[in-house]
Amino acid sequence: MARVVGIDLGTTNSLVAYVDQGRPVVIRDKSGEGLVPSIVSIAVDGTAYVGREAQRRLLTEPERTVYSVKRFMGRGIDDVVGEAALLPFRVSGDAGGVVKIGVGEKELTPPEISALVLRELVRRAEEFFATLGEVDPDVSGAVITVPAYFNDAQRTATRDAGRIAGLEVLRIINEPTAASLAYGLDKRHAGLIAVYDFGGGTFDISILLVEDGVFQVLATNGDTHLGGDDIDRIFTQIVLDTLEQNGAVIHRNGAYDAELVQAIRRSVIQAKHDLSERDESDIRVDGFEVTADGRIQRAVGRQYRMALTRAGFERAIAPIIERTLAPCRQALADAGLEPEQIDEVVMVGGSTRIPAVRARVGELFGRTPHTELNPDEVVALGAAVQADILTTGNREMLLLDVTPLSLGIETMGGVTTKIILRNSTIPASGSEMFTTAVDDQTAVDIHVVQGERELVGDNRSLARFKLRGIPPMPAGLPRVQVQFQIDANGILSVTASELRTQVEQTIEVKPSYGLTDDEVERMLVDSFEHAEADFAARLLIEAKNEAESVVTATEKSLRASEFAEVATELAPGEQRRIEQALAGLKHVLTSEDKAAIEQWTQALNDATKHLAELMMNRSIRVALAGKNVDDVR
Amino acid sequence: MRVRELVWRVSADAPAYRTRTTAVELAVMSAENTSTLQVCRSCGGGAPIDVHFCPKCTKILALGRHGDYFSYFGLRRKLTIDGAELEQRFRTLSRQFHPDYFYNASPVERRASLERSSYLNDAYRTLRHPIARVEYLLQLEGMPAGGNADGGKHVPASLLEEVFALNEELDEIRELRAGGTSPDAWRPRLERARVPIEARRAAHETELQDLAARWDALIDRRADVGERRTVLEALRERMLERNYINNLLAGIERELAA
Repeated sequence: MARVVGIDLGTTNSLVAYVDQGRPVVIRDKSGEGLVPSIVSIAVDGTAYVGREAQRRLLTEPERTVYSVKRFMGRGIDDVVGEAALLPFRVSGDAGGVVKIGVGEKELTPPEISALVLRELVRRAEEFFATLGEVDPDVSGAVITVPAYFNDAQRTATRDAGRIAGLEVLRIINEPTAASLAYGLDKRHAGLIAVYDFGGGTFDISILLVEDGVFQVLATNGDTHLGGDDIDRIFTQIVLDTLEQNGAVIHRNGAYDAELVQAIRRSVIQAKHDLSERDESDIRVDGFEVTADGRIQRAVGRQYRMALTRAGFERAIAPIIERTLAPCRQALADAGLEPEQIDEVVMVGGSTRIPAVRARVGELFGRTPHTELNPDEVVALGAAVQADILTTGNREMLLLDVTPLSLGIETMGGVTTKIILRNSTIPASGSEMFTTAVDDQTAVDIHVVQGERELVGDNRSLARFKLRGIPPMPAGLPRVQVQFQIDANGILSVTASELRTQVEQTIEVKPSYGLTDDEVERMLVDSFEHAEADFAARLLIEAKNEAESVVTATEKSLRASEFAEVATELAPGEQRRIEQALAGLKHVLTSEDKAAIEQWTQALNDATKHLAELMMNRSIRVALAGKNVDDVR
Repeated sequence: MRVRELVWRVSADAPAYRTRTTAVELAVMSAENTSTLQVCRSCGGGAPIDVHFCPKCTKILALGRHGDYFSYFGLRRKLTIDGAELEQRFRTLSRQFHPDYFYNASPVERRASLERSSYLNDAYRTLRHPIARVEYLLQLEGMPAGGNADGGKHVPASLLEEVFALNEELDEIRELRAGGTSPDAWRPRLERARVPIEARRAAHETELQDLAARWDALIDRRADVGERRTVLEALRERMLERNYINNLLAGIERELAA
C-alpha cells in the first residue's frame, strides 16, 4: 500500500516523517540528517538542486539560489519590498499581484519553488520506503504544516505547492498544533498548554486545552514575518556597515556583493548557534583584513573577525524577542486566561534554542518551558500522526483548530464587516445577506478580506467577485445570500444563492494574491531536471554532504572554548596541519571533483583524529568530575 | 481561497446557518422545523429531525433540516447550562462529526461531516457564552434584541436619569479639555461619572440571571405562550439596556484614552 507522510515545510529547513507501528519517526538520509535546508538552486542547464547542495551553491551561485521562500508564500510585492535588499535573488511582481522570484533567466512563483522542496522530501521518503522492501514505496499523500497565523492566501499557496509537486495534500495543519500532538503522544497530559513556536521566518503562539485526547485550540496569534531570519539580517547588516564605514569595498555593480553577503550571513548563523552554548563567539569574514591604521580592506587569504558576546547579542535581539510577547498576551486574552493558568509551555522551532528566548518566555508564563523535545523535528512528527489519523481512521486523538484571523467583507465606506471571528473553531461558517442599492441593479461586487482592522484597506484582501444576473427589481428587494465556509484546512470557500428568484448564475472570482487553477495545472515541476535523479550527480552530492559535516565539526572544535585547554596536548605543528587540511577541503568543496573531495575528506579526518580523541577525553573527564561532586553530596 | 466557478444555488432546503436573519425568515424557519422528518441522502430513509446519524443505514446525515442549537446538543431550550456538561457534549459530538474521520468516506458523507461540524462549532460558540445564549434565544423566539434599528439609539426610559447626568458631566469635561486643563483635573471626574453606570450594569447582570431562572422554570412546567412572552419581553428589554450601557461605558473609555 502506498504511504502517507507528514511534512514540515519550514522557512529554513524542511523535514518529512511517517508513522511506523503507531509511532511517528523522522525520515533521515544516510548520514542520519533529517533536516533538508529549504533552499533551491537552479543551474544554468536547468537542473534543480534542493537542500544541502543548494545551500553550498548559495555561496558560489547566490543569484541562482533561493532561500526563505516561505516568507513570500501568498504575498504581494508590496508586502516584501523592504527586505529584498539583502537577498541574492530578484524579487518582483506586479503591484497587487503574486510575488515572482527571479532565478537566473527563470521567473518562478513561491509555490513552484516550495514544490521543488516538497518533491525532494517525497523522493527522500520514497527512497527510504524502498529500502524497507515495500512493494509500493510511492508516497500517495501528505499532511503539510503551516504557521498557525498564516492567512487564507498563504495556506492556499502552500496547498498549491503540494499540487504542483504532484502530491495529494491530505490536510494543511498548523505547526504549533502539530507539535502539541507529537508532544501529547509522549506525555498523555491534560490541561492548558501554550505552544511557543519561533522558527526561521515565522512566529506562532497557540493556547490549547487538551482533554480526553481532544486537542482543542482556544486561541492563536503570531507574526508570519518574524523569525531567526530577522536576527541574521540584523547582524549581517551590522557587519556590512562596519566593513563599509572602515573603507572596505562591499558593492559590486551598484548593489551589495551577493557572494559576500551570503558568506557573512553563513558566519553570522554560525556565531548565533555558538552563542546558544557559549558566552562569546565571533563573526568571521574571509578575504578581509584590518590594516595598521584601523581600516578594513580586501586581502586574499586573510580573515576579518568581529567579536560578539552573548550579552551584546541579546541586547541586539531584545526587540525581536519583545515582538513575540505581544501576540502571546493577545492569545491569552482571547482565550480568557491569565499567564499563570497555563499548565505547560512547549517550545518549538530553532530560534527557541536561544537562551534569552527561553528566559523571556519563562518569565512571561512564570514557569520553565519544556525544551526536552527536538524543536526542529516535533512539528513533522505531529504532521505524520495527523496523516495517520486521516488515512487509518485512528480515533484516539482529535485536533480542533481555529481560524487565526477574522473573515469579513467590504461594506459601504470601505468598512470591514466581520462574518467569522478570529479564534472560531474550524470548520466554521457564516453568511451575509446582500441586496442592491439602486433600482434594476443587476450585479453586486463583493470583496472578501481577512484581518482585525476596521478599514478594509488595512486588512488582507483575499478575493473580489461579482454576482451577476440579478433580475431587475427595485433597490433593496433582491436577497442574495453569500455563504462562507472555512474547512478543516483553514481555507475558505464561498457559495451564493438568490433567495427570491430561481436564477442560476456563475460567478468569477479573482484571488488577490493567489494562482488560478489553470495556472497551478500549468506549473509542473516535472519540467525541471532533477539532479537527485541522476545517479552520478547524487554520489557527488553525498560526498559533498559528508565533507561538509567534517568541515563543520572541525570548525566547531577549533572555535570551542575547550580547544585552548586541549591545544597544549597537540603535537608541534598539528594545529597547522589541521588548518591546512581544512582549507584544502573547503577549496575542493566548491569543485565538482568527487575523487578530490573524498581524498581531502579523508585527509581532514586523519588530521583531526588526535584532536577528536583529546576533546572526547576531556568531556569524559568533565562528566566524571561532575559525577564525583554529586557523589560527595 | 480558490473559487474558480461558483454557481448560485437556489437551494431547496433552508440555508443551514446564518448569522444575521430577519424575524420574518426566522418565522419561516421555525415553521419548517415543525415537520419532524429529515431524509437520509445516503439511503433515502427518514429520520427524526434532531438525530445526527441515519437510524437505517447509520451514515452521517446532511444538515438539511435541523432544529436549533439547543436541540442539536440534545438540550432543552433553557438558559442555565452546565458549562462542563456542554463542553463534554461538544467533545463527544466533535468526535462523531469531524471531517478527519470522514476522509475516505463518500462525497455526500464528507459534505455532511463538514456541515455538521461547522454547525456544531457555531452552536458551541453561541451557547457557551451566557449573553450570546440569551441573544440567540430571543432570536429563536422571534424577538431579536441585537438589531441595530432600535438598539443603542433611543435611550431606554429606565436609564434617562443616569444618561442625562452623564452627558452633562461629559460636556463639562470636554470643555475643560478644550480649554487646556490638565488631565489630572478632569480624569477623576470622568472616573467618578462611570461609577453609577457601572452599578447599573452590575444590577443588570443580577436581573438577567433572575429572568433566566424564571424562563427555565416556565420551560420546566411547559407554561403557555402568554407567560413565556412576558419573560421574553423582559429579557429583551434588559438586553437592549445592557447594550446601551455597554456603549456608554465604551464611550467613557474612549474619552479616558484620548
